[in-house]
Amino acid sequence: MSAEEAIDEVQLPARTAIGISFGNSYSSIAYTSDGKAEVIANEEGDRQIPSILSYVSGEEFQGTQAKTQIIRNPRNTIAYFRDLLGKGFKDIDPTPCHASAHPVEHDGGKTVAFVVQEKAAEEESEKEAEKSTLSVSEVTTRHIRRLRQSASDYLGKDVTAAVVTIPSDYNDVNKAALTEAASNAGIEILQFIPEPVSALLGYDAKQSLTETSSSPSDKVVLVADLGGTRSDVAVVASRGGIYTTLATAHDYELGGSSLDKVLIEYAAKEFMKKNKKASDPRENERSLAKLTLEAEAVKKALSLGGSASFSIESLADGHDFSLSVNRTRFELLANKVLMSFTRLIEAAVQKADLDILDIDEVLLSGGTSHTPKIASNLQSHFPESTVVIAPSTSSTAINPSELTVRGAAIQASLINGFEVPEIRSSTEAVVTVTPHLHHAIGLVTGEGSNGFAVLVNAETPVPVRRTAQISVKAGGDVILRLAEGVRDIKVSKEEKPATNGNKHDDEDDEDDSDDEPEEVREKVWKAGKILAEAGLRGVKKGGKVEVQVNVAQDLGVTIVCREVGGKGGVRGVLDAGRAEANGSA
Amino acid sequence: MAITAKMAPIQIKASLPSLPPDWSADKDFKAISSLSQPTNRSLEPVGPHFLAHARRKRHHRTFSEDER
Ligand SMILES: Nc1ncnc2c1ncn2[C@@H]1O[C@H](COP(=O)(O)OP(=O)(O)OP(=O)(O)O)[C@@H](O)[C@H]1O
Ligand SMILES: [Mg+2]
Repeated sequence: MSAEEAIDEVQLPARTAIGISFGNSYSSIAYTSDGKAEVIANEEGDRQIPSILSYVSGEEFQGTQAKTQIIRNPRNTIAYFRDLLGKGFKDIDPTPCHASAHPVEHDGGKTVAFVVQEKAAEEESEKEAEKSTLSVSEVTTRHIRRLRQSASDYLGKDVTAAVVTIPSDYNDVNKAALTEAASNAGIEILQFIPEPVSALLGYDAKQSLTETSSSPSDKVVLVADLGGTRSDVAVVASRGGIYTTLATAHDYELGGSSLDKVLIEYAAKEFMKKNKKASDPRENERSLAKLTLEAEAVKKALSLGGSASFSIESLADGHDFSLSVNRTRFELLANKVLMSFTRLIEAAVQKADLDILDIDEVLLSGGTSHTPKIASNLQSHFPESTVVIAPSTSSTAINPSELTVRGAAIQASLINGFEVPEIRSSTEAVVTVTPHLHHAIGLVTGEGSNGFAVLVNAETPVPVRRTAQISVKAGGDVILRLAEGVRDIKVSKEEKPATNGNKHDDEDDEDDSDDEPEEVREKVWKAGKILAEAGLRGVKKGGKVEVQVNVAQDLGVTIVCREVGGKGGVRGVLDAGRAEANGSA
Repeated sequence: MAITAKMAPIQIKASLPSLPPDWSADKDFKAISSLSQPTNRSLEPVGPHFLAHARRKRHHRTFSEDER
């Protein structure tokens, strides 16, 4: 066995690696056993652990316990810090930190920090204990250390390594800062994985457990990671299970908290209507914090049920507050925000230079993807052929709050047997940067040669090999014309049937386009440049022809055609980058 | 996990044109033109199928060699 081969076989035993998803709002940890990813609950039983640390009388709290401290102890509670890591003070948006500890300039403005009262006040002395300045890096280290502890406790093994998800726009400075912070927490980062890609891996891995065929079908997936403070979209071509990101789009202001705000506004107004003399709860920090926490809970409950209630003790000026909100009301109030998700997603499709008809799946990831109206808006925006994968639209959906961390755990288990330098080398440009087919490759079909059947999709990385079979009912001599394909969007008007019952009776009376023919858009393939022709003679009646196309790294093509079960066949080669007229195989 | 590039054949539903009577070529194959220029893009280095790709690349193996 050569040293090269040994690399594939050796398993390093000592390391326990997990997946970590580290968001501004929530973090999660997961591990893989028997090829299945499982999300780990912390001591409090949470699988979505708020990315928050709070210092109370010398004690550190994390997660849900820390989150409630935003009401009582906001200045010693650190939240929404992920996006501050590896950034200069001038480059951060401190808005999400408004209700908690405020980020301050650190290290000459090169980084940011929080000033909190970490230690308990001395019992005897009157004066307060000194405050600590905690850099974002230190805060991240402490947060990751606790995640690591939770995972280690659960697994009964010391966790020392992880695959960590990052936003798709993270740069090298951000990555270096996260690597260092994690390493200080005793976690070696084996690999970073962009959040949307991780979500897709998490989804596909689960799907492949239930599917019988081992080969994933080609698809273009739009992954929308809708979080708390931001939303990120990626359009990914999946070819034989290999992913290529075609475009990304980001909105740093749109997320679950935009929906919370809608409920906060509504509740505050209702509160003031009910309590004419009470002050505006949005004007008082503590009242606003209470309202914010409750609004998020109400919003989450509305993803499942038809109605939910605010119930807050002493919201403002000693007045308790309760209010029931139904889902329809919420969706009406939040309509503008809800539509913004659709717009962001549409923008990503355009950035990828694609049409919505090219999108096979929309995979909704991130906590906000639980919101049924976001999924149903997308279902009506995209054509019927697009599958929207969300809890409310698809039975194959996985909890969107868990998708990214599941992908990270899967990746961790896949690479756990490798040494870190080796993992690194397989993520370097020499390995990852690959020529992708500009056009689809396929066969000209139909007696009139006016059809086209795709064998290899556009945006498929090379080398690639695909095999197809096609029946020849009549038998005889047939021609296989290999060509590049052109995807067209055909628009036609479809006359509506004159009477279609009372379907449109009451809802659409303002919509006078009803009488006009409906525009039908469809995706059609046409043959473009012909690449090669092969003649196959004497095919049996009812026979089947098999064609195999092999595109090499240098874009040379080998074509083999034969009758299934027959002898011989035709084999030919197309040289790379050199047009050959009438060259023989 | 034994993941190879082997995929089930694609089943095409359309029919093939018949061979024009006057068509002829050496060994019944005519090369007409090369593929269009490709686009260089970066693969996401994740998942079992990428690992198989990276392994083939590292060992300079073809698909069929990889399947043995
Ligand atoms: N069931 C639910 N219904 C609606 N919204 C939900 C639900 N569960 C969680 N959310 C919302 O999802 C958001 C958190 O999303 P996620 O867990 O993906 O966080 P994140 O990636 O840390 O966010 P970011 O980094 O954007 O701040 C919060 O706004 C939360 O209220
Ligand atoms: Mg997120």
